Amino acid sequence: MKSVSDGNTDWEPNEMMSKQIVTGYRVLAVSFYFVFPLFFAMPAIAMDGNAILMQVDKNLQPESYEMYRKLINIEPDGDKKEFVLYSVKKGQEKMVALFLSPASEKGRSTLRLGENMWLYIPSVGKPIRITSLQSVVGGVFNNSDILRLDYSTEYHVKSIQENENHYLLELKAKTAFIAYDRLKMLVDKERMVPTTIECYTASNMLIKTLYYKQSKDFGNGIIRPSVLETDSPLYKGYKSVMIYAKINRKELADEIFSLNYLPKVAELR
Amino acid sequence: MTRINGYVVFYLVLFYFSIFHLIFPPIVYADDDYSFDLEAFEKKPLEWGGYLELKWEHMNLNRDGAFYLLNSYEEPRETLNRLGTTLQFDGRFQKEKISANWVLQASAWQDEVDSDETTDVFEAFVSYKPTPPATLNIGKKTYKWGKGYAWNPVGVIERPKDPNNPEEALEGFTGAEIDMVKSFSGSLQTVALTTVFIPVTEKVNDDLGKDTGNNFAAKLYLLYKDTDIDLIWFEGNSRPTKYGIDFAKNLATNFEIHGELVYIPEQEKKVLSSDGSIETRKIVDTSYLLGLRYLTESDLTTIIEFYHNDAGYTEAEVDRFFQFFDDAYDVFNTTGSDALLKKAQNLNKGGYDRPQAWRNYLYLKTTQKDPFNLLYTTAGLTAIINIEDKSYSISPEITYTGFTNWECRLRFTYLDGSSLTEYGEKQNESKSELRVRFFF
Repeated sequence: MKSVSDGNTDWEPNEMMSKQIVTGYRVLAVSFYFVFPLFFAMPAIAMDGNAILMQVDKNLQPESYEMYRKLINIEPDGDKKEFVLYSVKKGQEKMVALFLSPASEKGRSTLRLGENMWLYIPSVGKPIRITSLQSVVGGVFNNSDILRLDYSTEYHVKSIQENENHYLLELKAKTAFIAYDRLKMLVDKERMVPTTIECYTASNMLIKTLYYKQSKDFGNGIIRPSVLETDSPLYKGYKSVMIYAKINRKELADEIFSLNYLPKVAELR
Repeated sequence: MTRINGYVVFYLVLFYFSIFHLIFPPIVYADDDYSFDLEAFEKKPLEWGGYLELKWEHMNLNRDGAFYLLNSYEEPRETLNRLGTTLQFDGRFQKEKISANWVLQASAWQDEVDSDETTDVFEAFVSYKPTPPATLNIGKKTYKWGKGYAWNPVGVIERPKDPNNPEEALEGFTGAEIDMVKSFSGSLQTVALTTVFIPVTEKVNDDLGKDTGNNFAAKLYLLYKDTDIDLIWFEGNSRPTKYGIDFAKNLATNFEIHGELVYIPEQEKKVLSSDGSIETRKIVDTSYLLGLRYLTESDLTTIIEFYHNDAGYTEAEVDRFFQFFDDAYDVFNTTGSDALLKKAQNLNKGGYDRPQAWRNYLYLKTTQKDPFNLLYTTAGLTAIINIEDKSYSISPEITYTGFTNWECRLRFTYLDGSSLTEYGEKQNESKSELRVRFFF
């Protein structure tokens, strides 16, 4: 199994196991006196993990905002293909992304409402349902990466470990409709943002790894990584990058996140 | 009459591709050069775009096919090469809550027999949005209703789309539209009502229907329990009253299902009667479509749709038409008189030459993204099968989008079926097509 690494701190699976906060052996070792409080301690641990995850979400993006992103697909020989997207998000499960560039994709927009996703192509003239594992841009990012909701909306924390600088959260999807069944998220303790996330299928196959890089002050108290890189064993040699250029808090009507509004998203800017 | 040598065209296109790399060399950046000049993407009041297309087609003609001979009985050919070009220009000018929108298309083609050029206003409408939930549109606009990919029985105010190119833009109709949407929390997440008024006069929207007058259409959309549901209604002077319903739902992260049903209490259908006259019958039309889209772990997307066209021709009606044509062609060959062939032509244009004019069809489209790790390449296969007569068309294709703003598609279509079947009698036996688009 591949280790989660942030460059300095390698997290080997055996080490993870040894640092497990609650183990079966400990449970057997404690007396009845300790068993009773343990029932309360376990939810408390889970709550801590979920609280960390919610803090991570809060630091990555405000609840209601607009942002500009550039997506770059990089081929093994260095060739690149770029896309620029304007996105708005509201609450925990509403998000829209509009393609501004290149010209061949301009005007396309995608909508996500919880587990539902649609793609609107101007020439097609109507939104069509898409699935989270598809990719509207090709490359390593799929639709759920591009229209990512808060991690805490889709996942709950299954276990948590920590060392001096990082938390390691193991996340489990809340439903079968989530693109990745499990995530291993390495969180920077100081900034409380993810540095590395490994994405696994239900059969424990590593689909891709996400790397959050280059912390940047976006203003209004938003300090977060400005670059998200990803690679995948399924796309050997290929890499995709998402660059965040502008993140602004913005009040948005709920009706903006509807199929009828998809052809008009450009007018929001 | 201008003749084009197909091989010359083919090699010109090949040459065009060969210099592609020289004109547009791949740009190689240094690692981690993640610059993002946001100023280049600042919003402007006037935004425009479009594409320029060049298309070459080589057709092996079906010299025994009824649909080919109907149009070319005087001078049947073996092959036909066609070169065409299309320019589409779309855009929007926005000032506060009002915007002007347009889609214009001009195209021209020439082959060894004929040539043509057209200029169309697909869309030209003014939009007023007092609030995000409400929109008023006035002008010419395209409506594409329904969840089907290849066909849309509930598309009550749209022109028929080509199942071989279902994603192409279509010309709209002139009218007025009010669109309202409301979001909720809970099982019912969205309700939207779209109402459209389309007048038909001798000069406006005259191709919506044969009779002039006022026409109304409405679509009530619900997102209920993660399912898209549309309730559709059409009432007017130019087309028969129609009631429709459709749905779409994701069953898994890689699996979607959809369906449509339209009920038309009084649908007119032109058929050839046993005495050779053209008869207009009134039928109750209940047409429907069921479909699915499935994505495998290896990025193979499959779309399958079954379409029942209740107003389509029965086997007996089709046989009668083909028999009538055979008799007319025999008369032409023996006497030189084409009077009966002209009548068959009129009948053909009245309904038999419609795409998918029979009753039951199966549509299959599979696309493999990045086959053999070739990024930005999509290999596809489209099949349209007439279930009743077992005839079919099958189209393998490959599309490459690796050059920014360029799209190249190479497609081959093979049609097959026995005598007196739909695809066995079509104009082409096979068609090769190379299409290059530059988006701007």
